[in-house]
Amino acid sequence: MSDGFEYLKALIVEDNSHMRSLLRALLNSIGITDIAEASQGKAGIETLRLRRPDLVLTDLAMKQMDGLEFTRYVRNDPNSPNPFVPIIMITGHTEKHHVEEARDAGVTELLAKPITAANLFSRIAEIVERPRAFVRCGDYFGPDRRRHRTEGYKGPWRRAEDMEDVEVG
Amino acid sequence: MARRTTDTGAELIEPDDYPQMVSKRDGLRCMQTLQSGRVALKAKTAMASYTPMLRDAIMEYVESLEEAGTDLQRVFAIAHEIRNFAENAGMATAGRVAENLCRYMDEMERVKKPVDPAIVALHVAAIARAARAEEDDAKMGDVVSAELNALVRRRLNDAGVR
Repeated sequence: MSDGFEYLKALIVEDNSHMRSLLRALLNSIGITDIAEASQGKAGIETLRLRRPDLVLTDLAMKQMDGLEFTRYVRNDPNSPNPFVPIIMITGHTEKHHVEEARDAGVTELLAKPITAANLFSRIAEIVERPRAFVRCGDYFGPDRRRHRTEGYKGPWRRAEDMEDVEVG
Repeated sequence: MARRTTDTGAELIEPDDYPQMVSKRDGLRCMQTLQSGRVALKAKTAMASYTPMLRDAIMEYVESLEEAGTDLQRVFAIAHEIRNFAENAGMATAGRVAENLCRYMDEMERVKKPVDPAIVALHVAAIARAARAEEDDAKMGDVVSAELNALVRRRLNDAGVR
Protein backbone atom coordinates (compact mmCIF):
# COMPACT_ATOMS: atom_id res chain seq x y z
CA MET A 1 0.00 0.00 0.00
CA SER A 2 1.26 3.51 -0.74
CA ASP A 3 2.14 5.94 2.03
CA GLY A 4 -0.17 8.71 0.79
CA PHE A 5 2.72 11.18 0.71
CA GLU A 6 4.57 9.91 -2.35
CA TYR A 7 3.26 12.62 -4.70
CA LEU A 8 4.02 15.45 -2.30
CA LYS A 9 6.74 18.00 -2.93
CA ALA A 10 8.47 19.48 0.09
CA LEU A 11 10.77 22.42 0.58
CA ILE A 12 13.25 22.70 3.46
CA VAL A 13 14.53 26.21 4.20
CA GLU A 14 17.26 25.88 6.78
CA ASP A 15 20.77 27.31 7.07
CA ASN A 16 22.23 24.35 8.96
CA SER A 17 23.18 21.46 6.69
CA HIS A 18 22.95 18.90 9.54
CA MET A 19 19.38 19.91 10.25
CA ARG A 20 18.53 19.77 6.53
CA SER A 21 19.87 16.21 6.40
CA LEU A 22 17.85 15.16 9.44
CA LEU A 23 14.66 16.68 8.08
CA ARG A 24 15.18 15.10 4.67
CA ALA A 25 15.71 11.70 6.31
CA LEU A 26 12.50 12.06 8.32
CA LEU A 27 10.47 13.15 5.30
CA ASN A 28 11.93 10.23 3.32
CA SER A 29 10.76 7.84 6.02
CA ILE A 30 7.11 8.79 5.42
CA GLY A 31 7.52 8.51 1.66
CA ILE A 32 8.26 12.10 0.62
CA THR A 33 11.19 11.96 -1.77
CA ASP A 34 10.69 15.07 -3.91
CA ILE A 35 12.43 17.49 -1.56
CA ALA A 36 14.04 20.80 -2.46
CA GLU A 37 16.41 22.57 -0.10
CA ALA A 38 17.39 26.20 0.42
CA SER A 39 19.86 27.59 2.94
CA GLN A 40 18.06 30.90 3.56
CA GLY A 41 14.76 32.67 2.97
CA LYS A 42 15.59 34.43 -0.33
CA ALA A 43 16.74 31.21 -1.95
CA GLY A 44 13.67 29.59 -0.42
CA ILE A 45 11.40 32.00 -2.27
CA GLU A 46 13.11 31.26 -5.58
CA THR A 47 12.74 27.54 -4.96
CA LEU A 48 9.13 28.03 -3.94
CA ARG A 49 8.40 29.69 -7.29
CA LEU A 50 10.23 27.01 -9.27
CA ARG A 51 9.13 23.88 -7.42
CA ARG A 52 5.68 24.81 -6.04
CA PRO A 53 5.97 22.62 -2.94
CA ASP A 54 2.96 21.20 -1.08
CA LEU A 55 4.67 21.50 2.31
CA VAL A 56 7.33 23.88 3.60
CA LEU A 57 9.60 23.35 6.59
CA THR A 58 11.51 26.48 7.53
CA ASP A 59 13.93 27.48 10.23
CA LEU A 60 13.21 30.69 12.12
CA ALA A 61 16.67 32.21 12.56
CA MET A 62 18.56 32.58 9.29
CA LYS A 63 20.81 35.25 7.86
CA GLN A 64 19.70 37.50 4.94
CA MET A 65 16.03 36.51 5.17
CA ASP A 66 14.75 34.70 8.25
CA GLY A 67 11.82 32.33 8.56
CA LEU A 68 9.42 35.05 9.70
CA GLU A 69 10.11 37.26 6.69
CA PHE A 70 9.92 34.22 4.43
CA THR A 71 6.54 33.24 5.90
CA ARG A 72 5.17 36.79 5.56
CA TYR A 73 6.21 36.77 1.90
CA VAL A 74 4.52 33.43 1.25
CA ARG A 75 1.29 34.54 2.91
CA ASN A 76 1.07 38.13 1.70
CA ASP A 77 3.11 38.88 -1.39
CA PRO A 78 1.06 39.21 -4.60
CA ASN A 79 3.73 37.14 -6.36
CA SER A 80 3.52 34.30 -3.87
CA PRO A 81 2.79 31.08 -5.79
CA ASN A 82 0.70 29.57 -2.97
CA PRO A 83 -0.30 31.70 0.05
CA PHE A 84 -2.09 28.68 1.55
CA VAL A 85 0.87 26.29 1.58
CA PRO A 86 1.34 24.69 5.03
CA ILE A 87 4.45 26.05 6.75
CA ILE A 88 6.04 24.25 9.68
CA MET A 89 8.49 26.55 11.42
CA ILE A 90 11.32 24.76 13.18
CA THR A 91 13.05 26.71 15.87
CA GLY A 92 15.18 26.52 18.95
CA HIS A 93 13.70 29.86 20.04
CA THR A 94 10.72 28.55 21.99
CA GLU A 95 10.24 31.53 24.30
CA LYS A 96 6.69 32.91 24.30
CA HIS A 97 7.51 36.11 22.38
CA HIS A 98 9.19 34.13 19.58
CA VAL A 99 6.24 31.76 19.37
CA GLU A 100 3.81 34.68 19.13
CA GLU A 101 5.94 36.29 16.42
CA ALA A 102 5.88 33.07 14.40
CA ARG A 103 2.13 32.70 14.85
CA ASP A 104 1.55 36.29 13.77
CA ALA A 105 3.71 35.80 10.67
CA GLY A 106 1.28 33.08 9.55
CA VAL A 107 3.00 29.77 10.25
CA THR A 108 0.79 26.70 10.29
CA GLU A 109 2.68 24.70 12.90
CA LEU A 110 5.67 25.26 15.13
CA LEU A 111 8.24 22.55 15.87
CA ALA A 112 10.81 22.96 18.62
CA LYS A 113 14.42 21.85 18.27
CA PRO A 114 15.82 19.37 19.05
CA ILE A 115 13.51 17.65 16.61
CA THR A 116 12.14 14.14 16.99
CA ALA A 117 10.34 12.02 14.44
CA ALA A 118 7.25 11.86 16.66
CA ASN A 119 7.06 15.64 16.97
CA LEU A 120 7.49 16.27 13.25
CA PHE A 121 4.94 13.60 12.36
CA SER A 122 2.43 15.01 14.83
CA ARG A 123 2.70 18.45 13.18
CA ILE A 124 2.18 16.92 9.74
CA ALA A 125 -0.77 14.93 11.13
CA GLU A 126 -2.34 18.18 12.38
CA ILE A 127 -2.11 19.63 8.87
CA VAL A 128 -3.66 16.52 7.33
CA GLU A 129 -6.28 15.85 9.97
CA ARG A 130 -7.29 19.28 11.21
CA PRO A 131 -6.70 21.89 8.53
CA ARG A 132 -7.51 25.36 9.78
CA ALA A 133 -9.51 28.10 8.15
CA PHE A 134 -7.52 31.00 6.71
CA VAL A 135 -8.20 34.48 8.02
CA ARG A 136 -7.65 37.92 6.55
CA CYS A 137 -7.88 40.45 9.32
CA GLY A 138 -6.17 43.84 9.37
CA ASP A 139 -2.59 43.22 8.27
CA TYR A 140 -2.75 39.48 8.99
CA PHE A 141 -3.32 36.73 6.47
CA GLY A 142 -2.77 33.13 7.50
CA PRO A 143 -4.21 30.17 9.37
CA ASP A 144 -6.78 31.00 12.02
CA ARG A 145 -4.71 31.74 15.13
CA ARG A 146 -7.42 30.47 17.44
CA ARG A 147 -7.16 26.69 17.58
CA HIS A 148 -10.59 25.15 17.41
CA ARG A 149 -12.51 22.52 15.56
CA THR A 150 -13.62 23.95 12.23
CA GLU A 151 -17.37 23.44 12.09
CA GLY A 152 -18.70 22.44 8.72
CA TYR A 153 -15.40 21.05 7.43
CA LYS A 154 -16.27 18.01 5.35
CA GLY A 155 -12.98 16.16 5.81
CA PRO A 156 -14.02 12.64 6.80
CA TRP A 157 -10.82 11.47 8.53
CA ARG A 158 -10.97 13.43 11.75
CA ARG A 159 -11.82 10.59 14.08
CA ALA A 160 -11.14 6.89 13.90
CA GLU A 161 -14.82 6.14 13.33
CA ASP A 162 -14.91 8.60 10.44
CA MET A 163 -12.32 6.53 8.62
CA GLU A 164 -14.91 3.78 8.12
CA ASP A 165 -16.79 6.11 5.79
CA VAL A 166 -13.83 6.80 3.54
CA GLU A 167 -13.56 4.93 0.27
CA VAL A 168 -9.98 3.88 -0.36
CA GLY A 169 -9.22 2.95 -3.93
CA MET B 1 -13.52 30.26 -3.58
CA ALA B 2 -16.18 30.79 -0.89
CA ARG B 3 -15.34 33.46 1.65
CA ARG B 4 -17.36 34.73 4.53
CA THR B 5 -16.97 37.64 6.86
CA THR B 6 -17.19 37.25 10.62
CA ASP B 7 -18.89 39.63 13.08
CA THR B 8 -15.51 41.24 13.71
CA GLY B 9 -15.02 41.96 10.02
CA ALA B 10 -12.41 39.25 9.46
CA GLU B 11 -12.58 37.39 6.17
CA LEU B 12 -12.67 33.63 6.69
CA ILE B 13 -11.72 30.97 4.12
CA GLU B 14 -12.75 27.51 5.27
CA PRO B 15 -10.48 24.47 4.65
CA ASP B 16 -12.86 23.09 2.02
CA ASP B 17 -12.45 26.30 0.07
CA TYR B 18 -8.70 26.33 -0.47
CA PRO B 19 -6.31 23.65 -1.82
CA GLN B 20 -5.24 21.14 0.84
CA MET B 21 -1.83 19.50 1.12
CA VAL B 22 -3.35 16.07 0.45
CA SER B 23 -6.67 14.96 -0.94
CA LYS B 24 -9.26 13.46 1.39
CA ARG B 25 -8.61 10.02 -0.03
CA ASP B 26 -4.83 10.32 0.50
CA GLY B 27 -5.45 11.83 3.93
CA LEU B 28 -6.50 8.48 5.34
CA ARG B 29 -3.38 6.77 4.01
CA CYS B 30 -1.23 9.63 5.29
CA MET B 31 -2.61 9.27 8.81
CA GLN B 32 -2.02 5.53 8.74
CA THR B 33 1.57 6.16 7.61
CA LEU B 34 2.20 8.75 10.33
CA GLN B 35 0.89 6.38 13.01
CA SER B 36 2.61 3.26 11.68
CA GLY B 37 5.14 1.41 13.85
CA ARG B 38 7.08 0.44 10.72
CA VAL B 39 7.49 4.08 9.75
CA ALA B 40 8.43 5.08 13.32
CA LEU B 41 11.18 2.45 13.30
CA LYS B 42 12.37 3.59 9.86
CA ALA B 43 12.54 7.18 11.08
CA LYS B 44 14.36 6.20 14.27
CA THR B 45 16.93 4.21 12.29
CA ALA B 46 17.37 7.08 9.83
CA MET B 47 17.97 9.55 12.65
CA ALA B 48 20.36 7.19 14.45
CA SER B 49 22.49 6.96 11.31
CA TYR B 50 23.22 10.69 11.67
CA THR B 51 24.36 10.45 15.30
CA PRO B 52 28.12 10.11 14.63
CA MET B 53 28.05 13.06 12.19
CA LEU B 54 26.13 15.19 14.70
CA ARG B 55 28.48 14.19 17.50
CA ASP B 56 31.46 15.44 15.45
CA ALA B 57 29.58 18.65 14.70
CA ILE B 58 28.82 19.23 18.39
CA MET B 59 32.48 18.75 19.32
CA GLU B 60 33.42 21.36 16.70
CA TYR B 61 30.80 23.73 18.11
CA VAL B 62 32.19 23.19 21.61
CA GLU B 63 35.67 24.20 20.46
CA SER B 64 34.23 27.31 18.78
CA LEU B 65 32.26 28.10 21.92
CA GLU B 66 35.39 28.01 24.05
CA GLU B 67 37.20 30.23 21.53
CA ALA B 68 34.35 32.74 21.45
CA GLY B 69 35.36 34.09 24.88
CA THR B 70 33.59 37.37 25.60
CA ASP B 71 31.99 37.71 22.18
CA LEU B 72 28.48 37.24 23.57
CA GLN B 73 26.72 37.32 20.23
CA ARG B 74 28.91 34.48 19.02
CA VAL B 75 28.52 32.58 22.29
CA PHE B 76 24.73 32.82 21.97
CA ALA B 77 24.74 31.68 18.32
CA ILE B 78 26.97 28.67 19.00
CA ALA B 79 25.17 27.71 22.21
CA HIS B 80 21.97 27.74 20.20
CA GLU B 81 23.37 25.31 17.65
CA ILE B 82 24.48 23.00 20.47
CA ARG B 83 21.07 23.27 22.08
CA ASN B 84 19.43 22.40 18.75
CA PHE B 85 21.43 19.25 18.04
CA ALA B 86 23.00 17.88 21.19
CA GLU B 87 20.11 15.61 22.04
CA ASN B 88 20.01 14.21 18.49
CA ALA B 89 23.75 13.55 18.90
CA GLY B 90 23.17 11.64 22.14
CA MET B 91 24.60 14.51 24.21
CA ALA B 92 21.53 15.45 26.19
CA THR B 93 23.30 17.04 29.16
CA ALA B 94 25.31 19.42 26.98
CA GLY B 95 22.05 20.31 25.23
CA ARG B 96 20.23 21.08 28.46
CA VAL B 97 23.03 23.33 29.74
CA ALA B 98 23.16 25.11 26.38
CA GLU B 99 19.40 25.62 26.53
CA ASN B 100 19.71 27.17 29.97
CA LEU B 101 22.41 29.55 28.73
CA CYS B 102 20.34 30.56 25.71
CA ARG B 103 17.27 31.21 27.83
CA TYR B 104 19.28 33.36 30.23
CA MET B 105 20.90 35.44 27.46
CA ASP B 106 17.67 35.78 25.50
CA GLU B 107 15.64 36.92 28.50
CA MET B 108 18.31 39.37 29.67
CA GLU B 109 18.35 40.93 26.22
CA ARG B 110 14.57 41.12 26.21
CA VAL B 111 14.49 43.02 29.52
CA LYS B 112 17.50 45.10 28.39
CA LYS B 113 19.73 44.04 31.30
CA PRO B 114 23.45 43.24 31.00
CA VAL B 115 24.51 39.61 30.84
CA ASP B 116 26.77 38.46 33.70
CA PRO B 117 30.01 37.16 32.06
CA ALA B 118 30.59 34.79 35.02
CA ILE B 119 27.29 33.02 34.38
CA VAL B 120 28.17 32.71 30.70
CA ALA B 121 31.63 31.34 31.51
CA LEU B 122 30.20 28.79 33.95
CA HIS B 123 27.77 27.54 31.32
CA VAL B 124 30.42 27.36 28.60
CA ALA B 125 32.67 25.30 30.89
CA ALA B 126 29.76 23.01 31.83
CA ILE B 127 28.75 22.50 28.19
CA ALA B 128 32.34 21.60 27.24
CA ARG B 129 32.72 19.24 30.18
CA ALA B 130 29.38 17.53 29.54
CA ALA B 131 30.02 17.17 25.79
CA ARG B 132 33.48 15.66 26.32
CA ALA B 133 32.21 13.30 29.03
CA GLU B 134 29.32 12.21 26.80
CA GLU B 135 31.72 11.80 23.87
CA ASP B 136 34.02 9.69 26.08
CA ASP B 137 31.05 7.67 27.34
CA ALA B 138 29.93 6.99 23.79
CA LYS B 139 33.45 6.03 22.69
CA MET B 140 33.85 3.84 25.76
CA GLY B 141 30.47 2.28 25.02
CA ASP B 142 31.54 1.55 21.43
CA VAL B 143 34.83 -0.01 22.58
CA VAL B 144 33.18 -2.15 25.27
CA SER B 145 30.45 -3.23 22.86
CA ALA B 146 32.98 -4.14 20.12
CA GLU B 147 35.21 -6.06 22.57
CA LEU B 148 32.30 -8.02 24.05
CA ASN B 149 31.06 -8.74 20.55
CA ALA B 150 34.52 -10.07 19.56
CA LEU B 151 34.71 -12.16 22.76
CA VAL B 152 31.30 -13.74 22.15
CA ARG B 153 32.15 -14.47 18.52
CA ARG B 154 35.45 -16.10 19.56
CA ARG B 155 33.79 -18.22 22.25
CA LEU B 156 30.98 -19.25 19.91
CA ASN B 157 33.59 -20.14 17.33
CA ASP B 158 35.46 -22.24 19.92
CA ALA B 159 32.20 -23.98 20.76
CA GLY B 160 31.73 -24.88 17.12
CA VAL B 161 28.83 -22.50 16.52
CA ARG B 162 28.94 -21.16 12.98
